[in-house]
Amino acid sequence: MLNTKARAIRLVELVLLGSAAALFIVGTYLGDTFFLRLATESLIFGGLALSVDLLLGVVGLLSLGQALYFGFGAYLSALILKELASSFALAILIVTIASAILGWVASFIALRSKGVYFALITFGLAQVAAKVVYNTRSLGASDGMMGVPILQIWTPFGLIDTSHPGIFFLICLLTISILYGILKYFLSTPTGSLWLAIQSNENRLAYIGYKSKGPKQVAFILAAVVAAVSGALYPMLRGFVSPELMFFSVSGNAVVTVVLGGVGTLIGPILGSVLLTSFKSVIGTWTSHHHIVIGLIFVAIVISAPKGLIGLIVTRMNKVDAKKEEGKHE
Amino acid sequence: MNNAHSIILEAKGLSKRFGGLIAVDEVSIAVQKLGVTSIIGPNGAGKSTLFNLLSGTFLPDNGAVHIDGVDVTRLSPEGRLFCGMARSFQITNLFFDLTVMDNLRIASQVLEPRSHLYLPLGKSEIALKRANELLEEFGLEESRDQLAGALSHGQQRRLEIAVTLATKPKLLLLDEPTQGMSQVDTHETADLIKRVGLNTTVLLIEHDVDLVMDLSKTVFVMAQGRKLAEGTPAEVRKNPLVQAAYFGEELA
Repeated sequence: MLNTKARAIRLVELVLLGSAAALFIVGTYLGDTFFLRLATESLIFGGLALSVDLLLGVVGLLSLGQALYFGFGAYLSALILKELASSFALAILIVTIASAILGWVASFIALRSKGVYFALITFGLAQVAAKVVYNTRSLGASDGMMGVPILQIWTPFGLIDTSHPGIFFLICLLTISILYGILKYFLSTPTGSLWLAIQSNENRLAYIGYKSKGPKQVAFILAAVVAAVSGALYPMLRGFVSPELMFFSVSGNAVVTVVLGGVGTLIGPILGSVLLTSFKSVIGTWTSHHHIVIGLIFVAIVISAPKGLIGLIVTRMNKVDAKKEEGKHE
Repeated sequence: MNNAHSIILEAKGLSKRFGGLIAVDEVSIAVQKLGVTSIIGPNGAGKSTLFNLLSGTFLPDNGAVHIDGVDVTRLSPEGRLFCGMARSFQITNLFFDLTVMDNLRIASQVLEPRSHLYLPLGKSEIALKRANELLEEFGLEESRDQLAGALSHGQQRRLEIAVTLATKPKLLLLDEPTQGMSQVDTHETADLIKRVGLNTTVLLIEHDVDLVMDLSKTVFVMAQGRKLAEGTPAEVRKNPLVQAAYFGEELA
């Protein structure tokens, strides 16, 4: 079962990476914009879902306010690009540091509680932040901020600008892959084991010599950074930010994405985001009530595959293995 | 016997009240190094509360706990672990969603320097080695990759003791380790506890009086929150107070 899960994750990683490469090549060749930008958007929201999965699927903390950090990253990035300098590296660097500090401060508030109370506190924090931004004139209030300039990114191959959908897609792919790689690395360390132990039986931890607070705080800060860096990419894609980015719909959507893809798998949320973002766009062209359709799909998935899409793949793989095993014996 | 150096764990006048109920009332015990010492008593005698006070799960209202002469009364459970004390639980308390190996590995992680927390698992060689030792010692090799939650009750109880031993404590508190075990498993566990007692101090709470009498060098008897008697198993058996409170007509 465990090995199958690892195999399923590896498979999905490869399929996603292969699809991304194919999309980049074909899209660039055909001069496509729509699909490349759609894929970029699903990567950005995939990063947000990734941060939710770190908390929910690994540590066992349901955050209903992860959009706070996503929105924070988006606004800060927009501000830096507009007011400070049109530099990708500078924006990502400042957002990383600032969100780590924000996450550290917020962790003292949120980690005082567990379970439902943790969910409500994260929800509350995000609502407060969203209201503050919504009412702050210097941040554009309810209109948000527009006119984020197109970026010039320095690479060893010369300056490239983000208005090229293929190039920007690659940049986002690289950024989200690095975030994914960092989380995977942490999962391969004893800290990752402690996270899983906290999810399984937090009270036991004290009797093997650890306070659960430390590892939880590390996870919370990491999740804040992953969400914020993903958010920082948003204004680069869209050219604007709005307070809606901090609203509950964004946080809630991220949780739905995680559940759809497979809780605790990390790659599941990315897959979930790709599918959900595509669905939304495709269904959105047929009907303006796409939320209803998405809701129905979500209900269907939760009932038929409670472990998400990755869970479905694992079940499928197990069946194939069992058949192979049978074939051997015959 | 009165040599202070041979005493590893000492409780002085420990009391704990829950509302109007005095669960533990001015209990003093001294546990000598090595071998098995047991606390017995009828249900509701305050054994488990006493255990929770000794292990740092509860803070006492009065009294003090010393490990090797060091006052640990206000120390957290994880703090006490570093003083060499570890405990198991009456109700199996494992990381049920993790494999047997992961349970043991995580429990052994404290043996590693703290910096290893952020390095790949393979770098934590001491913990890995310790986990493998325990797998073998407790006969859990075949269940290595099974989820702890999927083990049989007897295996879970064994794993519970193994996890508690992971950090090589010098003082081991076992809360009814054979609870709910089959006869065969109970005997195996008794042998195991005896073996552990050769180089570790074991403090045991047990319902199974025969098991206790067989294993222990010293027995404390509790009833209604107080210490009723203490002594060797033979002495305790003969004590009329104990017979009245605990053994009933069986031994009288």
